[in-house]
Amino acid sequence: MSIWTRIAIAVVIVAILAALPWFGSDVVVQFGISTLILAVLAQGWNIIGGYTGYASFGNSTFFGLGAYGVAIAMVQWHLPFWVGMVFGAAMAVAFAILLGLPVLRLKGHYFAIATLALAQVVAAIVSNIPLFGQNIGLVLPPLNNDAMFYELALALLVAATLTVAWLTRSRFGFGLIAIRENEEGAAVMGVNTTLYKVMAFALSGLFSALAGGIQAYWITFLDPASAFDISLNVKMIIMAVFGGPGTIFGPVVGAFVLSAISEVLSSEITSVAGLFFGIVVVAAVVLMPRGLADIIRHFRTSGWRYFIQNVKAHRI
Amino acid sequence: MDLLAQVLINGILLGGLYAIMALGLALVWGVLNIVNLAHGAFIMLGAYLAWHLYHYLGIDPFLGLPITAIVMFGVGYAVQRGILNLIVRAPMFNTLLITFGIEVVLTYLAQLAFSADFRTINPSYAGSNIAVGPVVIPTVRLAAFGVAIALTVAMWLFLLRTKLGRAIRATAQNLVAARLYGVEPRHLYAMTFGIGIGLAGVAGGLYGTVSQINPYIGATLTAKCFAIAIIGGLDNPLGVIVGGLVLGIIESLAILYIGATFGDVASFGVLVLVLIVRPSGLLGRTA
Repeated sequence: MSIWTRIAIAVVIVAILAALPWFGSDVVVQFGISTLILAVLAQGWNIIGGYTGYASFGNSTFFGLGAYGVAIAMVQWHLPFWVGMVFGAAMAVAFAILLGLPVLRLKGHYFAIATLALAQVVAAIVSNIPLFGQNIGLVLPPLNNDAMFYELALALLVAATLTVAWLTRSRFGFGLIAIRENEEGAAVMGVNTTLYKVMAFALSGLFSALAGGIQAYWITFLDPASAFDISLNVKMIIMAVFGGPGTIFGPVVGAFVLSAISEVLSSEITSVAGLFFGIVVVAAVVLMPRGLADIIRHFRTSGWRYFIQNVKAHRI
Repeated sequence: MDLLAQVLINGILLGGLYAIMALGLALVWGVLNIVNLAHGAFIMLGAYLAWHLYHYLGIDPFLGLPITAIVMFGVGYAVQRGILNLIVRAPMFNTLLITFGIEVVLTYLAQLAFSADFRTINPSYAGSNIAVGPVVIPTVRLAAFGVAIALTVAMWLFLLRTKLGRAIRATAQNLVAARLYGVEPRHLYAMTFGIGIGLAGVAGGLYGTVSQINPYIGATLTAKCFAIAIIGGLDNPLGVIVGGLVLGIIESLAILYIGATFGDVASFGVLVLVLIVRPSGLLGRTA
């Protein structure tokens, strides 16, 4: 497929998705909004986790800060929604830069757990600040316009995906991939690794925060437990990994597929939807550690042996 | 001043419990290079096991600890042999994800089986205290502290002196060389993970006697265990005693001087600080 065919297919898919509120039912549109928000989170994680190779378990912090930006602006200061989005995004980017500088010096397990701990610290601090509504939470003015939230989330997902596409062909993106493959090597080749890592972290945080802002206004209620939900990290990561980390469309496809399966399961057998996520994580890591994108690439040549080869490659 | 002494005592007693919680995590991490994000969930399972032993069979929580340990050892052995051995050589990120997946599964299974209600293990002697001057020491906490410290020291001797302990340490240092000397890695990894989970089970049984349990305590406990392992380093089981005591005292002081909700903030704040200043742990070797 030439590059133009691919772009044409992508444009058609986006157009169909954008038209959904006119022919889909309310339930479908609401499912669409939550799926699109998760897809943005997965795509945002893809920038720091997939391309830069830093497994952040703390992106929910950005999501929560973005959500609180909107909630504080609208409830406490009576400002319009878009000001809240800017405020939330600014908080997330500032947080990413300030904490990214020390935390991004860590590698591997240490980085993953430090970000996880940071998410818990921020949640605990926020629940003690009156401006953030403490533990009681904030109630936003309701807006009954699901179509608008849907289009907003879709636009954000398109923007995030275009950014990731830009990464695959820009100097900045190649710098990030170089850091993922060999950080010392990248530094020797003249990549300013600290700057690049912090920028990737901030970019990742920016998209997560905007997704959080949309979520807050859509749900119209916000408290620390829902804004800084730790399990959100696992969701976005497993969606990105399921689809294919470090690819343009992998995280989006992963988010759509997993949300759809989870939605079907939770309407059929309500109590096990969460259990399902855990089992998918375990099965996906064992059988397809490089995601759907890698299966599509290799399944034609190796068939079902693909899964056995994956297991053989990593077992002891 | 009496208040401060009391808070310090509470912190130290809590710290001993923290030490045995983190011991299994540090062992698995050091030998298998797997940071087990499901460790807290296994502690939770151990707590529920001890709770059931006490409530349905009337077995004293402290006397029931060996049963809990053996059952949890079996669970751990099976999990490593059946699942984790398949991904031991995968990138570090995949091992984090898979243990997170196991954590989610265990939490949901616990919620389905035991409901989300808070439970406590309340033996008849739960309320008794020992007064030492102005300071009051709760008997149960003292006993839990004693068991925790004794087991941690026993673990240290086990790794240092026994054949299995030496094989585990050898594998941690050099897998290929250990194999040449006849160590069967699949079995040994499963034994190590089983011991780690058995320790988590004991920690859970002790935790249930001093605190409330519900299916969701796992994630926070994992993060605390990680903090302790980082502070203490992975080289020596005695390091986790130091790490546990440091964390227990800092948490108790933060609750006293800053506010009740800041206990967790303080411990995770310490974790982040230690990571930034000394990524290999306060007592660990530099990597």
